[in-house]
Amino acid sequence: MSSETTQEGQKDKGVLYLGIDLGTSRTSVASSNGQRITISSHVGYPKDVVSKKLLKKDILFGDEAVEHRLSLKFYRPLAAGVLKHSNKTTDDVEGNMKAAADLIREIIRVSLPRKDELVYGVIGVPAQAAIHHKDAIIRAARETLDSVMLCSEPFAVAYGLDMLDDVLVIDIGAGTTDLCRMHGTMPEDSDQITNTFAGDYVDDQLSALIKKKHPEAQFTSRMIQTLKERYASVSDSMPPVVIELPVAGKPMSFDITDDMRTACRSIVTPMVEGLGKLISTFDPEFQHRLKNRVLLAGGGSQIKGLDSAIEQEMKKLLGGGKVLRIEEPIYGGANGALKIAHDMPAEYWEKLK
Amino acid sequence: MPEFQTVRMSDTGQGLFSGAEVESLMRVEFERARRHKFPLVCMRVAIDRIDQLHDLYGVESKDEILRAVTALMRDSMRDSDHLGITQDDRFLAVFPHTTPETGQMLAKRLIANARKMRFERDGRSLRISLSVGVAHNKDEAATSFETLLAVADDGLAVADAGGGDRFVETELYALYANKKKRGGMDSDKPLIINAPARPLPAAPHEPTREELVGKALLEKLMSQGFDIDALAGMPPDMIAQAIRAFSQQKNVVEAGAGSDADKGRQIDQLERRIAKLTHVLGITEDELRRVATMKGIDLGLASIYSTVQGLATDTSLYEQKREMMKTIFEANFELKQKLKPGSGPGSPFEKK
Repeated sequence: MSSETTQEGQKDKGVLYLGIDLGTSRTSVASSNGQRITISSHVGYPKDVVSKKLLKKDILFGDEAVEHRLSLKFYRPLAAGVLKHSNKTTDDVEGNMKAAADLIREIIRVSLPRKDELVYGVIGVPAQAAIHHKDAIIRAARETLDSVMLCSEPFAVAYGLDMLDDVLVIDIGAGTTDLCRMHGTMPEDSDQITNTFAGDYVDDQLSALIKKKHPEAQFTSRMIQTLKERYASVSDSMPPVVIELPVAGKPMSFDITDDMRTACRSIVTPMVEGLGKLISTFDPEFQHRLKNRVLLAGGGSQIKGLDSAIEQEMKKLLGGGKVLRIEEPIYGGANGALKIAHDMPAEYWEKLK
Repeated sequence: MPEFQTVRMSDTGQGLFSGAEVESLMRVEFERARRHKFPLVCMRVAIDRIDQLHDLYGVESKDEILRAVTALMRDSMRDSDHLGITQDDRFLAVFPHTTPETGQMLAKRLIANARKMRFERDGRSLRISLSVGVAHNKDEAATSFETLLAVADDGLAVADAGGGDRFVETELYALYANKKKRGGMDSDKPLIINAPARPLPAAPHEPTREELVGKALLEKLMSQGFDIDALAGMPPDMIAQAIRAFSQQKNVVEAGAGSDADKGRQIDQLERRIAKLTHVLGITEDELRRVATMKGIDLGLASIYSTVQGLATDTSLYEQKREMMKTIFEANFELKQKLKPGSGPGSPFEKK
């Protein structure tokens, strides 16, 4: 339990349960008081006294941080669905760790817990997150949560929908795509595959395609992400995507329809190959049923026509299949995590305090 | 020097044949099909409520939808098929070497794919549906392409009148063939394919609709062993009352089916209202929060699960979920133990 909590006095009025989907691009929370919030996973600290005075804040989160990123020490603390510090790829380990802890604190603050309530949370992590990744997340969460548990993100999605038997879950995030086979029990490592053919990969592909075709166009990765979120489609009959990008300071129009389609389609084949691995190692008697119960979740599932494209690829590689898109792609993981938090017996929570 | 007629595809602005052009091609294809005895299917396709969408969202939206539906139709066709568009934004498609069954399958696929299409306008998602009239040359009475076209038009009108999002094949080939013979459909005059299909009056020498219905009813009653003499002896008022009751019941059913469009509009309005109210509620909550902060009041919201917690025992998945909760807990407990410096895994169920 955090030191902050103990100073605040007795928490004897009940428990606030939180389901948290800690994503590379967005962090979503669903809480047992009815609050549901999503913020982009960006944290910024004013670079100097001048910017602090201008921004009137010590920390900025989400879109506000993105908007003022030039005046901020800017962090995207979650990479590939885990804390950036745990990958040892960055020099600013402490900075990312602090940013992650602040992000979790913020997401809990906006969930509006009462001062006299305990706060218990279940956090979804990528299916095959390593122990040091989990360690980093728990350390960041413990500062603000009274008790915390981790669970596999795709499992949380399936649990939230009560689809526990013979289901394949595809959870497309920004950093990772998780594939998980559900067969009535807790999925084991062999039931789960995590790859990085996800939202960021699509951004990279799109960026490379535009750069190749229009080397004169100027853009940033943030602009590419915004374009993808607005126009992403794999459909042959998608409406034309004509955008404006600056060329030597002057806005020019570019038709990126084909590039957008190509970039979005680039994740389909690896995804279906992953599904193929999970299907082929399953009981042959139930393989057909499994193929026809594929759940598509996560922010990446909002790519238009993706369900049909996966079905077509499954037909080509696996002989057929049926893909169902979940109703709430952004909150699918958080809703499931909240359901797990609520269903978890109180004694288990107590033991993990 | 012989004069050659050229087919221009630029008139429609979408690289499609115009109505007159595709009609001309259809005439040729029909004759070829008759000579070489191959099957041919003709389809009239309309986007449901396209004019209302135009009025609501402007010409750009309409063009975007037309472009997308054109692409959708092209995706479903072979290079040897013909696709045209008439000035009233209806498509005319001709599929040579296509059986009636395949034609129906194509129509079904078109309708299903159109349902999946989404268009964004003013931050709102628009959906469309198609009405399709289908005709083929396998019917004995399908002796001219005008007959085929009339049947397809009729099918489209019936599909549209039924609320759209469906395909209809009326199979009224004989009716239109007779009409053509009587000169009602002059093959020398160009056919106005844009004209909306409407029920044709019965031919003088043919039995009226009432006579046909009466005959069919009589046959049905006799086949079920109904005593016709008893019916004949029944007071006319009683029969009329029974017919009225049947008619009222039918009207109620039809009213329910026909009001789908109205319901769609109502849902649309309610969604807009919800969006406005949500916005206002957000502003109100922000203001309340500001006042509460000023007065030092606790801002938290109480959890609805303060007292009710844990798995419901009456759920069918109780045992399965209980095991899952235990496994999740054990994995987390093990993780906690591993992260605690200098301590072994231990048992999560040891008493403190």
